[in-house]
Amino acid sequence: MTLERIPIRVEADDLPMSGNAPAVLREIGELLHRLAEEGVGGAIDLRSLPFLPGDRVWLEERLGCGEVEISLQAGGLSTFSETRFPGVWWVVHRNPQGAVVSEQVEVTRVPDIIVADPNDVRNGLANLNDLISGLS
Amino acid sequence: MTMNKNAKLLENLEWQGVSRRTFLKYCATLASLMALPPSAGRAMAEALAQAKRPSVIWLPFQECTGCTESITRSHSPSIEGMIFDMISLDYQETLMAAAGHQAEEALHKAMQDNMGKYVLIIDGSVATGLDGAYSCIAGRTNLEALREAAQGAAAIIALGSCAAYGGIPKAKPNPTGAVAVSDIIKDKPIVNIPGCPPIPVVITGVLAHYLTFGSLPELDKLGRPKAFYGETIHDRCYRRPFYDQGKFAKSFDDEGARKGWCLFELGCKGPVTYNACASVKWNGGASWPVEAGHGCLGCSEPDFWDAGGFYKALSMPADPLKMTAGAALAGAVAGVAITVANRAKKGAAKAAHETTTLADLEK
Ligand code: SF4
Ligand code: SF4
Repeated sequence: MTLERIPIRVEADDLPMSGNAPAVLREIGELLHRLAEEGVGGAIDLRSLPFLPGDRVWLEERLGCGEVEISLQAGGLSTFSETRFPGVWWVVHRNPQGAVVSEQVEVTRVPDIIVADPNDVRNGLANLNDLISGLS
Repeated sequence: MTMNKNAKLLENLEWQGVSRRTFLKYCATLASLMALPPSAGRAMAEALAQAKRPSVIWLPFQECTGCTESITRSHSPSIEGMIFDMISLDYQETLMAAAGHQAEEALHKAMQDNMGKYVLIIDGSVATGLDGAYSCIAGRTNLEALREAAQGAAAIIALGSCAAYGGIPKAKPNPTGAVAVSDIIKDKPIVNIPGCPPIPVVITGVLAHYLTFGSLPELDKLGRPKAFYGETIHDRCYRRPFYDQGKFAKSFDDEGARKGWCLFELGCKGPVTYNACASVKWNGGASWPVEAGHGCLGCSEPDFWDAGGFYKALSMPADPLKMTAGAALAGAVAGVAITVANRAKKGAAKAAHETTTLADLEK
C-alpha cells in the first residue's frame, strides 16, 4: 500500500486570516512610493511575518500577475514574478530539493541578484575569448 | 580536493563551482531565517565573501553523534556544506582521518596555532561524577579536556541539548553527574544551540553572524540565539488556527487527527518550546514533526526528557516544563501579537527598509 492511500485530508474551506495582510499591502505602497520618488525600494520578508494561509492568498490576489516572470537556477529554482504593479516583485527561493527557503516581496526595478556582476562579466569575457581564439 | 586555506570564502566556493548568485541567494535565505532585514543578505554576502576562515575545534563528550549527523547530513551538500567552507575545521574526531596520537597532536597544534582565536564547538554533556571518569578520551576526562580547550577559545558553541543543558545523560537519576558546558566554563562567551538534534541551519547562522559581525548573535536568557529561538513552535505552527478554534485531535487515528487538528491534547509541547522547526522545518524543508502528525517533544528546552510524559497534555498538572504566561489555552492569541512586537523591535532598519550596512546590524 502506498502512503497516498491513507486518507488524510486537511480542512481548508475557509482559510484563516490574521489581519496582517492589509498592513503589508500598505507597506508595499510606501516602498513603491519611495522607489518612484527616490529610486530606492526595499523588501519585505513574508516568512518572518505571522501570516496565515488566508493572508497570503489575500495578498497574492491583490498584487496579481504582471508581465515579467524570471526564473533563476542557482542552488535550486528561484522565481521572480512581477506583480501587476511594475517594480513590485514576488520572489520565491527554493533549495535543490524544491522546498521554499525564503519568500519576499521586493520593490525594485530589477531584483539585484538578476543583474550580472562585473566580476562575473569579466570572467565570462575571458572564457568567451578562449572559445573565440580556438576557432579555426 | 584541497582548498587554499588562505583564500577568501567566495573564491573557494567559486573554485568548487558555486556561483556568485547561488551564494547571494544563500545569504538572502540565511538573513531571512535569522529575522534580519532582507537587505542584510547583501551585507552578509559582502562580509562573508571577504572573510578569513576561523579555526574551529570540535570536541565530542557524552553524546550520541546525532548532532554531528544532523549537521553533516543536512539537506543540500552544496549549501549547508558551506559551513565547512566558512571555517577551518581543525579537529573533529568523527570526520577527521587521523586517529590516536596523531589526532591528539592535531588537537594541540590547532590550539597552539590559534590561541585565543579559535571557536570551540562541544557536543555532549560533561560527566562530573567520579571526577569525570565516566567519559574519557585518550586517557583524559572530558572535564579536563574542556577546561584546557576553553582557555584558548574566543567563543564556545554548546551544540545540542546535552552540551547546552546536560540533556539525556542528565536525565534522572543522572548516573554520571552530567552537566552543561556552561556549568563548568564561566569566563567565556557561550552560545547554546539546543535541540535533540539541533536544526543544522542554526549553527550555520551563528557562524555566519560571527564572521559577518565579529560578534556572537543576541542571546536569550538560556543562551540561545534569539533569531532562531525567539518564538515558540506554537507561535509558528500551521495547526495553530485549529488550536484557536478549539479543535483538537483526541487520538492519533480519530477524525480530528485525519483533519489535521491541533495536537495539544496528545501531548504537544509546542506552546512552551522555543525553536525554529515550524518555520525552518526538517529534512531540507520537507516537513517537521507536527506536520508528520506527532506533537513536539520540547527537545530544545532544559530537562525535556523528564518533563512528565511525551503524550501528556501540558494542561495536566505536575509538568516540569512549566506553562509560561500566554501558553495557556486562553492566552492563545496573545502569542501572535507578541511575535509582531518582537519582530518590529528587531531593528529600525527593518521598519524603515533602508539599505542596511554592517554598522546598522551591529547590536
Ligand atoms: S499545541 Fe502543538 S500542534 Fe497545536 S498549535 Fe500548538 S504547536 Fe501546533
Ligand atoms: S518539533 Fe519540538 S521536539 Fe521536534 S525537533 Fe522541533 S523542538 Fe524538538
